[in-house]
Amino acid sequence: MEIDKPTFTRALIGFAQFARSKGLNVGVEETFTALRAVDLGVFENKAVFYYTLKAIFCCNKDDLPLFDHLFGIYWETKNDDTRKKSQHKIINPQHLPKQQSVLSAWGLGNGEQKQEEDSKTVTGGNATVRLRKTDFSKVAEMDASILEDIAEKLWREMSKRLKRRMKRRHTRETIDLRRTIRASLQHGGDPIELRHRGKKPRKMRLVILLDVSGSMDKYSFFLLRFVWALQSYFEQVESFVFSTQLRCITEALKTKGLEKTLKMLTPQADNWSSGTKIGECLKSFNDQYASRILTRSSMVIVLSDGLDTGEKGVLEGEIQKIRRKTRRLIWLNPLKGMTNYEPSARGMSEALPYVDYFRSAHNLESMLELEDLLCSL
Amino acid sequence: METSINDISALISGFDRLGYVIDEELATVVFLLLKLRKPILVEGNPGIGKTELANMLARLLDTQLIRLQCYEGLDVNAAVYEWNYQKQLLGIKIQEHSTLNEAEKEKNIFSEDYLLKRPLLQSISAKDKAPVLLIDEIDRTDEEFEAFLLELLSEFQITIPELGTIKAVHVPYVILTSNRTRELSDALKRRCLYHWVDYPSMEKELAIVYKRFPEIEQKLATQIVHFIQALRQKKLQKTPGVSETLDWALSLMTLGYHTLDEQAVARTFGCILKSTDDIRALQEAGIESLLIA
Repeated sequence: MEIDKPTFTRALIGFAQFARSKGLNVGVEETFTALRAVDLGVFENKAVFYYTLKAIFCCNKDDLPLFDHLFGIYWETKNDDTRKKSQHKIINPQHLPKQQSVLSAWGLGNGEQKQEEDSKTVTGGNATVRLRKTDFSKVAEMDASILEDIAEKLWREMSKRLKRRMKRRHTRETIDLRRTIRASLQHGGDPIELRHRGKKPRKMRLVILLDVSGSMDKYSFFLLRFVWALQSYFEQVESFVFSTQLRCITEALKTKGLEKTLKMLTPQADNWSSGTKIGECLKSFNDQYASRILTRSSMVIVLSDGLDTGEKGVLEGEIQKIRRKTRRLIWLNPLKGMTNYEPSARGMSEALPYVDYFRSAHNLESMLELEDLLCSL
Repeated sequence: METSINDISALISGFDRLGYVIDEELATVVFLLLKLRKPILVEGNPGIGKTELANMLARLLDTQLIRLQCYEGLDVNAAVYEWNYQKQLLGIKIQEHSTLNEAEKEKNIFSEDYLLKRPLLQSISAKDKAPVLLIDEIDRTDEEFEAFLLELLSEFQITIPELGTIKAVHVPYVILTSNRTRELSDALKRRCLYHWVDYPSMEKELAIVYKRFPEIEQKLATQIVHFIQALRQKKLQKTPGVSETLDWALSLMTLGYHTLDEQAVARTFGCILKSTDDIRALQEAGIESLLIA
């Protein structure tokens, strides 16, 4: 096959740009590698060329279908339009939309007006104390953003404390020979001072399942914040939201940040009034994710009011499966904060026998109490 | 031998001679590994020959295989190097009455004689030819170790404070495997060529069985592979991989079966199903539904 080298190189670079603009994670380094590979003669055979680019441009199983699609479009279409276009296209830096208040995205409070009011409000100690105890569903529009700030601060501190405590445990377990020898050099080689080595603190794996159905509406916004705070300070957190369907938001929270994730979830919120299928969502969690995520050292937190509209018995079976694979199962129910609440809803009563800790999660105070739970593990 | 592999077909036939069935796609990736010296990351379900690939590559290149099995809490001492403390202690005692001064004594104790080389250090200190370094189940380690690895894989050098920097004479061929129990960091993934291994097709799996057991009867082999392929379609907690197929084929041959029937399956399904739930599911579905005549 006769191939004009410069043209081919340009076409390849064009493909790299095209792939990047369509969402594949292709950088300069990948492009270079591809060009080096081309020098080895891999382009003489189409299949091999395809395999080569696939190995270089993909770095994840989920990339594969997209890559196949793009490869098809770019290299296999007869007209060169796509090719030319992307070769000349200058990719503009994305203009991010103007920062909008998270709360207004969720229909709480409204934009600028709220901010003006904010500036007039004096957040003294009293307000903080009061807000900490206010039920999330009863937070006034005006207070919402203040509460948001307080929450963020408190949760950050909490995560820090948790980390610190986890590091202090397990001291003096084995002798650290390396440091003992270092110390013994001072004493002419006799290991007088023994140095100890603690066990590396085992990192807790946290799995959070957050109910965002209609009945949880008022709470899910704050709870999602809480989830985000946990995720940003713990290393291994997987978080999911569910209503009628389960959805993994770990990546979204990590890459897009809280605001964008909230926005991403908002348009769907309207469809969520159709009732919660907790059982089925947990089932799809068990089928798709559990084997990858759950280990004996992991802890599962379910944030839900337990109002299940799915079939009877499904929830019980699935929660039992989860319980078997984890170290602790915690269920946080915002309704528990009500004065004469009893877990009589069918979903809740089905799940309760398998839950290690059943706590409320209706205000900041109650969420902060989680700290003790998290560090007792 | 390395120089003799100049194209992909040579690589495929080389693996074939060793009894390892490799398709063109994986062969392409291995070819790139050999030529570009970029690490490859092989992901896929357990038991489909990821580790075996490294074994075979080492045999093909007639070089040493250095294996680092990852686990949670793997640290630098176990992966890179460690000082031989006991020997150092003795060394100190022996030197006690020698005429050497402090600095010389210390230099003695922290010399290469007292160094225990762990897999990663071994891999870059190979003297005569580049070894194959297998970093197995990288998804089991923690992020810190991954970050450390990142440095090693780009520079191929390790710094030991007491000795200085050791740089690889021969850049090793690095194969990382992962069972995808967690996502690896983007940075690490981008250092590597990526390959996803799926369960093999019917033809490929048959070829693997024949390759491993040339003496197997054709009928039995076909039945086994059919059964396994059908079984993989079911939702199981632990889907059997190729290693299970091979185990099972060997067990059936050892027990003297010539054809696969319900009784044969019932006696041996411990080879392919590793969980009571799965076994129960199979029994409920009925073994005969997966059998072919």
